[in-house]
Amino acid sequence: MSRTTLNIDLNRVEGDLEFQVDLDGNRVVDARCVGTLFRGFEQLLIGRAPKDGLVITPRVCGICGTAHLYTAALALERMAQLPVSPHATLVRNLCLMAENVQSDLRQSFLFFTPDFVHPRYAAQPLFAEIEAAFAPMKGRIVRSTLAASRKVVELVAIYGGQWPHSSYMLPGGITRGATARDLMDCQDIVDRTIEWYELDVIGDSLDNWLALDSADAFFSWLDAAAHAASALGLLTRFARAIGLQHIGAGAHHFLSAGSWHDPLRWQPPYGEPVGLLPAGLYHANGQLDAFNPDLINEHVRHSWYRPYPGGRHPYIGETVPDYQPDTDRYTWAKAPRYGDKVVETGPLAELLTGGDKLVTSLLALEGPNAWLRQFARLRRTGLTLHLMKQHLAELARQLGTPHYLPPPAGALDQGEGYGLVQAARGSLGHWIQVEDGRISRYQIVTPTAWNASPKDSAGQHGHWEESVIGVELADPADPIEIGHIVRSHDPCLVCTVHFVGRGERHRYGV
Amino acid sequence: MATLLWLQTGACSGDTMSLLNADSPSIESLMRKGSIELLWHPSLSDTPPGGLGKLIEAIESGAQALDILCVEGSLITGPFGTGMFDSYRGRPKIQIAEALARRARYVVAVGTCSAFGGIPAAPPNPTDCTGLQFDHEQPGGLLPPEWRSGAGLPVINLAGCPTHPTTITRSLAMLAQDLPLELDFLNRPRLFFGTTVHQGCTRNEYHEYDVEETVPGGRGCMYFNLGCQGPSTLANCNSELWNGRSSKTRAGVPCFGCTSPGFPKDGDLFRTEKIGAVPVTLPLGVSRAHYMAYKNLAHAAAPLRVKNREMEP
Repeated sequence: MSRTTLNIDLNRVEGDLEFQVDLDGNRVVDARCVGTLFRGFEQLLIGRAPKDGLVITPRVCGICGTAHLYTAALALERMAQLPVSPHATLVRNLCLMAENVQSDLRQSFLFFTPDFVHPRYAAQPLFAEIEAAFAPMKGRIVRSTLAASRKVVELVAIYGGQWPHSSYMLPGGITRGATARDLMDCQDIVDRTIEWYELDVIGDSLDNWLALDSADAFFSWLDAAAHAASALGLLTRFARAIGLQHIGAGAHHFLSAGSWHDPLRWQPPYGEPVGLLPAGLYHANGQLDAFNPDLINEHVRHSWYRPYPGGRHPYIGETVPDYQPDTDRYTWAKAPRYGDKVVETGPLAELLTGGDKLVTSLLALEGPNAWLRQFARLRRTGLTLHLMKQHLAELARQLGTPHYLPPPAGALDQGEGYGLVQAARGSLGHWIQVEDGRISRYQIVTPTAWNASPKDSAGQHGHWEESVIGVELADPADPIEIGHIVRSHDPCLVCTVHFVGRGERHRYGV
Repeated sequence: MATLLWLQTGACSGDTMSLLNADSPSIESLMRKGSIELLWHPSLSDTPPGGLGKLIEAIESGAQALDILCVEGSLITGPFGTGMFDSYRGRPKIQIAEALARRARYVVAVGTCSAFGGIPAAPPNPTDCTGLQFDHEQPGGLLPPEWRSGAGLPVINLAGCPTHPTTITRSLAMLAQDLPLELDFLNRPRLFFGTTVHQGCTRNEYHEYDVEETVPGGRGCMYFNLGCQGPSTLANCNSELWNGRSSKTRAGVPCFGCTSPGFPKDGDLFRTEKIGAVPVTLPLGVSRAHYMAYKNLAHAAAPLRVKNREMEP
């Protein structure tokens, strides 16, 4: 059959991306993930005061600015070996948790499930239920998600003054300590979010849901009417009816830098990660390796940047644009690799390295797939809400303890450091170098950089590219399968579809 | 019903998040009650295959009416004037923005990036970006200063990084009803940019009596040492609380002046620049001599409860 190229345009993602796939008949045989936006944030920081990164970097991303702020503060703390109080870490974690819950909910029900309300699926037995729940801006779950996601970020505003884009985490702590009044407000926000999650998302109590520990237990749970009719139940039943458990595998290696620094153990020298969900590299065969940040490196062989051979660690990284259309370089994204491995990061990775038994069991049963990736995201929301309750209980014990330990004079004038957190979409890292009180180098590796990376120097495809290769499209004129797969990764990008064949160009949106 | 297209250029989606945070009115209530017909939003539309491309063509040809064009993100002209740092189907976004603006009755810059250039336009401006009708303080950005939309207005600048949630939805609701929106000297609606951030700040007593912090994390005022630009920044952060809860200054974060065309300022963002013992940028309209006179008096008059920082901001 003739080989054709599809340029795929996806909205309901954050940012800009064009996805090109080559088809042999209806089967995807090659893929190129094209980042179409360059904003140059790393250059903006050079020459500025070290703390300016706390204002500039949250603006990299409107949906995960808290994660950038947290990471930027950690990089300075590691650089200057500054202690931070449990009180401050608890508040930072709580704010990041609230942001992630917001992101997971909006991604699931504003970005992912609208694809189910597609004319192709009109004959599916569940279609009427899907439409009632998930129709964009109108469906029952969409409306309650809009309200719930709005509510949960109020928690960030209590400590940061606003969400998105504030700068309340500083090297040494946070700008405002929690009071008992804040604690009452936060408890109310978290309790209401849990109540909604139980009622609308899982149709069960959070405790029951988190106790599910195997694929068998989950599928029996799904038989109960209340669970089957919940948003998660509907999403699962429909996704599996259209075969999303069989497509979208990708890299088979899962990276997490560890979620939520343990507030009581997170202190200089900041050596081993002390995540409440441990860091690591999980392999689809069940093997788990320890996390080593030295193995992170970025390639630019297929990116529009000044070339260098192989991969570079972010401390010696550079970001010098070199736009070369019509070559075999095709994107503004770099290609981060872990050692020589292509990896996937995100909620699925986090739960695998963190030892969630249910998700581990589902992975063992069916391997990585688009449904499981989306499922893991909503599973993580439950776990996060549970941890938020625990954090608030611990914060009650820390009221009145210091929230900010001022750095000694000159502490931020010289040195290098890095910070890593698990943002909503996965591992986020900042690497900073400071000379004479000014930033001399700043490198950021975002979760989507990992997932949406192009080919590396060795010719290995990035994770998303890999996840669509081999997929059989029912209708290349309307490649909705690719929409399901790409959106299951929670992309932080916006894209375009045009179909090129026999000199004729058609355009499609997914 | 007003048709609306929301275009993201070099954006971070922060203003979209702000839009989703607005609760009264909310975007979904404006849509449900029929004020706004959302032709396209990058995060919210479920447009059928080919939708956006066809929509842009239909608007450009005049077949589809466009009442409100919202632009989020800075307008990127690099590299080398091509606009290809930010493209859509091989076409620079700046071209699309310009073409759609020509057809729109109202053009709204949502956020400081599309209003003035914002953070991506800070030195060295690596992507050569600008605002829609301003380049920082300079009139004229992607569009010339004399440009007017179909309804005869310049680009309406809903400045902010991000824009305050209900400033977006209330402005859109007003435009949908063709209510007049009086603009200030930077083409921001006076209704939402007619107060300083300082107005309503719960640290006001500390400011008033010149009880100033030298390190972050405390209860006092952040204007004198910690870079707070609240007294010189026009925005409603402290008169309309964020997320219904608070504001940056209340939470101990200096105001960085994000609704101003000079955002982000060149100097250290957490430090107040001074000439001698007086800040370079004084509260809006206050003279240096008067500032020194009243501050010395106020400092001397400060009650102990304020000096001792007993008052909770």
